[in-house]
Amino acid sequence: MEITKKDVELAGKLAKMRVSPEESAIYESQLKALFNWVQELSAINTDEVELSDAQLSAFIRPDVPVRDEEQAAELRHTFASEEADCAKVKKVL
Amino acid sequence: MMTISEITKAIASGEKSAEQITREALKVIAQKNPEINAFVEVFEQEAISCARAIDAKRSRGEKLGPLAGVPVAIKDNILYKGHKATCCSKMLENYVASYTSTVVEKLLAADAVIIGRTNMDEFAMGSSNQTSAWGLVRNPVDTERVPGGSSGGSAAAVAAGMVPLALGTDTGGSVRQPASFCGVVGVKPGYGRISRYGVIAFASSADQVGVLTSNVYDAALALEVLSGKDEHDSTSLPAAVPEYTHQFTQDLKGLKVGLPKGFLDGLYEDIKARIVAAAEELRKLGADVREVDVPLAKYSAPCYYIITSAEASSNLGRYDGIRYGYSAQNADGLENYYEDSRALFGLEVKKRIIIGTYALTSKRYEECFLKALKVRELIRRDFNKVFEQVDVLLTPTSPSTAFRIGAHRDNPLSLYLADLYTCPGNIGGLAGISVPFGLDKKGLPVGVQFYGPILQEEKILNVAHLLEQCI
Repeated sequence: MEITKKDVELAGKLAKMRVSPEESAIYESQLKALFNWVQELSAINTDEVELSDAQLSAFIRPDVPVRDEEQAAELRHTFASEEADCAKVKKVL
Repeated sequence: MMTISEITKAIASGEKSAEQITREALKVIAQKNPEINAFVEVFEQEAISCARAIDAKRSRGEKLGPLAGVPVAIKDNILYKGHKATCCSKMLENYVASYTSTVVEKLLAADAVIIGRTNMDEFAMGSSNQTSAWGLVRNPVDTERVPGGSSGGSAAAVAAGMVPLALGTDTGGSVRQPASFCGVVGVKPGYGRISRYGVIAFASSADQVGVLTSNVYDAALALEVLSGKDEHDSTSLPAAVPEYTHQFTQDLKGLKVGLPKGFLDGLYEDIKARIVAAAEELRKLGADVREVDVPLAKYSAPCYYIITSAEASSNLGRYDGIRYGYSAQNADGLENYYEDSRALFGLEVKKRIIIGTYALTSKRYEECFLKALKVRELIRRDFNKVFEQVDVLLTPTSPSTAFRIGAHRDNPLSLYLADLYTCPGNIGGLAGISVPFGLDKKGLPVGVQFYGPILQEEKILNVAHLLEQCI
């Protein structure tokens, strides 16, 4: 499996991580070794394996919002102030 | 350090108070931790207060919990409200848990005394406890050697006699491998047996809480407390929890033990000799030990590194300085803000995120990630088939005993092979235990491992309990 410095840089960008040229060189060689090892998996015939939705996702609970009044009150308490039913948070940028 | 059963008996009879036990544990920690570095924080005053409350409960004649007065250490990725949980990463240096994990709730309900947080590989990624942002852990057996990882602090704390029980987490062997290196017992129950609610996620389909103790009986006692369905964790299983300590037998008559073919090939001779000796002891106890075929198990490690890295790249996406984690100051623009904030991850964590992100790119998704998921399914089928023939599997825990600090630095892939015998358990969702069984020629502990089917922890506990009596 061909891995290039460009692949490492792309993965770093997608992961929102800065990868220095030195790190990129280290990761490139280590990823090459790892993905060569992973290449062994291609020898296994998986044509008959059907994955269910549950196997494709670790999270199987329905996403139903639950309001916890106690936790909500605690969270509101941590904010300095509120405005129009919204909490005011510290400026990030 | 007294065992769990000795402590609970001594407290129940009034021979010792919980406060005395706690102070004894704190004394050992104060003496040994500066060198071993097993604990990253000790809750000294709080532990003493908790112990006093247990003593008061006893003096009022109230019923005590099954772990009354037992000092317990928790790995630094397990939440305890109001306490830091940093995953031994600078990214979470100042994170304070806003709620308590189910496992800690259960320990408190059982009257255990939570004594502190233990060191670990950063975000549980490592097999030697050398990637912690708070310094490496030294193996109490030989302080020039690693304790294993990622629950190295928990294993070292038990091995050094600081606590009789420590919680760890095991995603690819992170409880069992350090247990083997430090000469203690480590159990990773089957996936879903113990709630993961409040455990900081590394790879959700493989993460599992486990226990480290000085003997199998204590591990069984702890599992009785910790196991069971939890409404907060949809992957926890709705099955009754047996009284494991009541399932112990006097012999192994009728038990079928499988030795997976090829697992001993090329293995370090001293470890191979211990596995052969363990098989012999099991035969003497009445077990039928036979060779079995688990042909695809050898592919567990590459599968493991793709699946867990992919899940980690997703789970660790939340540490962006806004939702969680270090928040960069004075960044120029949003992109720089994210990159500056995420620069606090250590090298190993960054590497795993890059591996996982790359495996999930459209270019590699089918060839890497989807392929690994399908192979995992085939490995699980292999294990299901083999457990129709035998009750438990016997394997080495690790291909080596504890290695020197700094070894493998130039070849990290060789370090990944430390998980060779443990990650099949996580890929298969199996129950696994590492139990000390003698020493190698250097005098270092050797662990042997038993695997059992999911929800049948009693089988591996029983066979390990009998084997440890043979030493």
